[in-house]
Amino acid sequence: MTDEEESPYDEHGVDVTLIRSFLKLTPAERLERLVAFMNFTAEIRRLNGIEEPHRDPQDAS
Amino acid sequence: MKNPIEILKTLADHQVKFIVVGGIAAVAQGVPIDTLDLDVVHSVIGENVSRALSALSALNAHYRYRPELRPDASHLAGPGHQLLDTRHGYLDVLGAIGKGRTYADLLPHTVEIEFAPGFRCRVLDLETQIAIKEEVGAEKDLAILPILRRTLEERRRLQ
Repeated sequence: MTDEEESPYDEHGVDVTLIRSFLKLTPAERLERLVAFMNFTAEIRRLNGIEEPHRDPQDAS
Repeated sequence: MKNPIEILKTLADHQVKFIVVGGIAAVAQGVPIDTLDLDVVHSVIGENVSRALSALSALNAHYRYRPELRPDASHLAGPGHQLLDTRHGYLDVLGAIGKGRTYADLLPHTVEIEFAPGFRCRVLDLETQIAIKEEVGAEKDLAILPILRRTLEERRRLQ
């Protein structure tokens, strides 16, 4: 990437390309991707004997 | 994570009045984040509590920190947060969020989103999610605000 090209990150370090790509999907497709990713990471934790993380009760919102 | 759609369908099948909030609500509206659980704010008024209890029973819901304990009507009738595990994954059933915002307070700030063909749920809009996180101001809320705000900007740009 050259200096003249637009940065993929905004001033807060947010990857704008990821947002634009995600917005092209339907809500159901976004959920499908989330579930697939989270189940993938859960499987990696299971294979490595790492306990499933629980949120702190104060975190719910 | 398992399958949050099945949790939503079970709540809907039992005619529970609820609003999807938190990470799943954000993802459904295009925010590229991850989350481990489904958060819903339910109406604590009238028959909705017994409907919610029936749905939670069908989901085999129990407390994450005390698996031997199951929610009852007294738990669901107030503003508290019930952090549950179900046959389809984690579910947080919330009587209120932010600074005491209830189902009735939030309902005007929702949009209907199709989660599966022909299946729609009410979801807290991004503007209100941002406002609540700003008013709460917890570190975890502040951390996610830039990506929520930028997604909202991008959505507006596309409209």
